[in-house]
Amino acid sequence: MSDPHPLMTLQRWMQSVITNPRGISAGIDNAAARQWIDVASDDVEQVIGRSQKRTSIERLQVYGNAYFARLVECMREQFPALCETLGQELFDGFALDYLDKRPSTSYTLSRLADRFVPHLETTRPAAESAAPGWADFLIDLASFEWSVAQTFDAPGTEQSGVITPDDLAQVSPDDWPQTRLIAAPCLRLHAYRFPVNAYFSDFRAGRPLSIPPAAATWLALSRREYIVRRIPLDESEFLLLQSLLAGQSVGAAIEAAAEQSADFDAFARNLPHWFQRFAGEGFFTKLVKP
Amino acid sequence: MTAARLGHQNLGLGVGLRSVHFGHILQHWPAVDWFEIISENYIDTQGRPRYVLDQIAERYPLVMHGVSLSIGSTDPLDFEYLAKLKRLAGEIDARWISDHLCWTGVAGRNSHDLLPIPYNEESLAHVVARIKTVQEFLERPLVLEDPSSYVTFAASTMTEWEFLSAMANEADCGLLLDVNNVYVSGVNHDFDPAEYVRGVPHERIVQFHLAGHTNMGDYCIDTHDAAVIDPVWRLYQLAHELTGGASTLLEWDANIPPFDVMHAEVLKARGHITAQGGESPEPITTKSADAPAPHPLHFVTPEIE
Repeated sequence: MSDPHPLMTLQRWMQSVITNPRGISAGIDNAAARQWIDVASDDVEQVIGRSQKRTSIERLQVYGNAYFARLVECMREQFPALCETLGQELFDGFALDYLDKRPSTSYTLSRLADRFVPHLETTRPAAESAAPGWADFLIDLASFEWSVAQTFDAPGTEQSGVITPDDLAQVSPDDWPQTRLIAAPCLRLHAYRFPVNAYFSDFRAGRPLSIPPAAATWLALSRREYIVRRIPLDESEFLLLQSLLAGQSVGAAIEAAAEQSADFDAFARNLPHWFQRFAGEGFFTKLVKP
Repeated sequence: MTAARLGHQNLGLGVGLRSVHFGHILQHWPAVDWFEIISENYIDTQGRPRYVLDQIAERYPLVMHGVSLSIGSTDPLDFEYLAKLKRLAGEIDARWISDHLCWTGVAGRNSHDLLPIPYNEESLAHVVARIKTVQEFLERPLVLEDPSSYVTFAASTMTEWEFLSAMANEADCGLLLDVNNVYVSGVNHDFDPAEYVRGVPHERIVQFHLAGHTNMGDYCIDTHDAAVIDPVWRLYQLAHELTGGASTLLEWDANIPPFDVMHAEVLKARGHITAQGGESPEPITTKSADAPAPHPLHFVTPEIE
């Protein structure tokens, strides 16, 4: 019986062949391709013509090589510090495994790596102890680099403007506890198991790299004048911002963060400075008074 | 009777907008006739690429050139993607929207490559129907580019230029004739590129592409990483004579040189279309086992303080 959809069949066959990580001949002979067109690699001229100088397999190989080479190159550009840390050969292995297991389903390359961090988490080796290990560092670093890219393309405050420290100073003490602060849409908060931000600074500066000891760190990623900014936070600042971003009023956010603070006096002493700093960094776009 | 270039203006000599040149353009506002953007690099970002684009749109004509339409795929059209194309085209006053006669993936996947289709009646009917749907949605004619390709199909029953002609006439769409692609495919598939250029409907050619490629000895790869070579300039000259001229754009996507070098390369077209000739480099020939990747991808790297 003739195939009612030969173009669809041909496309599914060709995609299966050129994306097979074991190469074109293996791809043609694989059951995944033969379910669409049952031709052996020796007989592939029945599907793909040869040229005067090149065989059908050699011609298909251009697409097979390109598929992985082009996408792995994009992954290297997306995760430059991770690539430097692993070395290109090992990084390429991680990327190839990711592309094979979770191929792109988006029209845009900016989403090519959107499942890379979950993929690393799923495929990581079992932890040897309760303490964070090198695999956790690599996952933290990948997560950081992915977040940088998201912040770069996110909606920003360049056109809308931000709340300034002076704006905060004009809120009356009576209104302050019930006031809500609306966060900049590009602001993202991150808690890491390793000092990946400092590590990334070393990478950017070309300093020698070595995986640092585990140490909990907190970071805000935001953007100003279209450039991604990295703002290190301490834990209390992180907790306070986390509550504010969740929509809590200033009073409720302070209360929630204070409850988790180990040093309440220091927390109270630093509060005014923190709010001035947050506003100075352009973390908020709007004040909503009670 | 179809108007020349489907009625579109000849914009002159332009270059592809690449993020490595943002700073130069914003600082110098070079005397370029027009820019072409890679649509996918701008339809989602709300960061610096879009900010730069909006400023450029105020000063230069812009054309949107996509790589993800996948007009030849048997997967359903992506209307979310099309809606984004349409919105951006309106916002930057894009003169036209182009993509490639190809498919990029099937079964929900995207290879991010420009894959060829067999040239036969089934493919023709399929592509024509999809072009009509896209044009109706975008409310403007689509302009489709001939792909560079590395395989041919036993199922093909017509030449690529016969397919393009039938497609453009039946779907009433425009063509973007990439003369470098014609040359590359001519080498790869043993046809005469001049016959190809003579065989397409000239009144439907809205735009030309020029680029460099890599000669691998027994085939060519469309690498967009070098200057245009003489045989490609001669094809361009022929195409110019047959069409009466159309907007011409240089693509350079790997080993991208400083902006002025890239601009100077496309300006050589003036010498070629006035038959004065121009200086051209020797073809890049390599026999390396590590073949370069065709059609380099356009990934915009984030800028970090």
